[in-house]
Amino acid sequence: MTLIKQLVISRGDLENKLRNLLGKPIFLIEMDGFALPCGCSGMTINTRGLQVDDLEIFEEHILKYLDDIAQSLEIDSSFIFARLIPGTSEIASLNLRILCNNCYMDFARGTGKQPRPDIYILRFNRKQ
Amino acid sequence: MKLYAPHLGHLEGLEELLAGSDDIYGVYMAGSPEYVGTGRTNLSAPGLDDIAQQTEYAHEKGVKLEIVLNSSCMGGQHLTPEGYRSIDWYFNKLNDIGIDSITVADPYLVEMLARDYDMEVVVSVLSFVDSPQKAEFYENLGADTIVIDSAVNRHFDKLEAIKESVSCDLKLLVNEGCLYQCPFRYAHFNFFSHANGPGPKPNVTDDYYYYKCLSLRIQDPELIIKSPWIRPEDLKDYKHITDIFKIGGRTHFVNWTLNVVEAYANESYDGNLMDLLDCPKDLKDLFYIPNKELGSALSQWKQCEKVCKRCGYCKRLTQKITQIYTNEGTEQILKPLSSIGEQQ
Repeated sequence: MTLIKQLVISRGDLENKLRNLLGKPIFLIEMDGFALPCGCSGMTINTRGLQVDDLEIFEEHILKYLDDIAQSLEIDSSFIFARLIPGTSEIASLNLRILCNNCYMDFARGTGKQPRPDIYILRFNRKQ
Repeated sequence: MKLYAPHLGHLEGLEELLAGSDDIYGVYMAGSPEYVGTGRTNLSAPGLDDIAQQTEYAHEKGVKLEIVLNSSCMGGQHLTPEGYRSIDWYFNKLNDIGIDSITVADPYLVEMLARDYDMEVVVSVLSFVDSPQKAEFYENLGADTIVIDSAVNRHFDKLEAIKESVSCDLKLLVNEGCLYQCPFRYAHFNFFSHANGPGPKPNVTDDYYYYKCLSLRIQDPELIIKSPWIRPEDLKDYKHITDIFKIGGRTHFVNWTLNVVEAYANESYDGNLMDLLDCPKDLKDLFYIPNKELGSALSQWKQCEKVCKRCGYCKRLTQKITQIYTNEGTEQILKPLSSIGEQQ
């Protein structure tokens, strides 16, 4: 199966799972793979209708869904976070990111779930 | 019927638009954001030469050209001597070009235009004219046309009172899908006005108001039904108010605009209502609302007291007819709205 076709299937699968979990028509408006000049790479899933409360209550379920996606697309899932609109309950995107060394240090310095007002960390596996 | 269609702002777009339909009475587009911005998102910033070229082309085709400068907030810059001189210079240039009309939202600009230029003055929907008193105010200030606040599109008592109170032209925006009595309206249009105005432009990553607007509808799809759009089939019920209708959608492809123009020109559309709405355009890939199944809704809304908790009509209608796009593998299928969460 091509990567693009897998993206199409994964987007629909995740959307269906979130809708069934939360009982509302969560809309995954775009799913993208990315590679940044710093060396970071990964996947961004732009969401509409998903809120911080949903994450906090169903974090375990949602992490499992994202792990499934990571597996199907062969992405390392050691760093998963949501990007929030600061000061609100709105989630703009879910992200699986393979950090470059510099960005790793930015995140590794903090200990909490919100190193910045716009980031909510679901998983951060530290390097040994 | 006089239909005003949105135009992206470049000549190629205008040629494509006017080649695709004979039902367009006028087109409207933004001007340069360097002088007065606009209250909505734009994809172009045509210079004076572009506007002159497009005005000539539109007139060759027998179509009116309107420039929209409906910023709802200019931070007071227009009231400074420098601001006035800059805007006056720009208005003079537009006047010399021979555009037909100019749409503004600020009362100051309405008065300025009415006093000193030959262009027709159109009061923007962003002036929020929702009462006969406001309509009289703008007519007295010099308005040739008032675009009535779409929030009262389903308040026939107010529409009729406005019609009775003024003799200037009235225009109705037919396909705006904003929330009914939208609490974000002023803040959102002010944000757009700065983002699409002379600057300094805010460096905004995420448009909170738009995200929130989508989020609210995803959680409560009846808000789409309650939005004050007017179905093509229902135009006939508005013709005692006006025969001038405006289609919103300056950021859409020409193909989309032509489809909407055809629907309103024919006063009929057999498809997804979401195809016709200017915003929230992202949700057309989420909801399917069969337009033809909304046939009797206007007669209900005409007598509606707008107390949703007491009535529940829109909620029932939404549950009855709304479908949702769902993906199974690579196939997109439609399911009833009520199916969401049933596998839980």
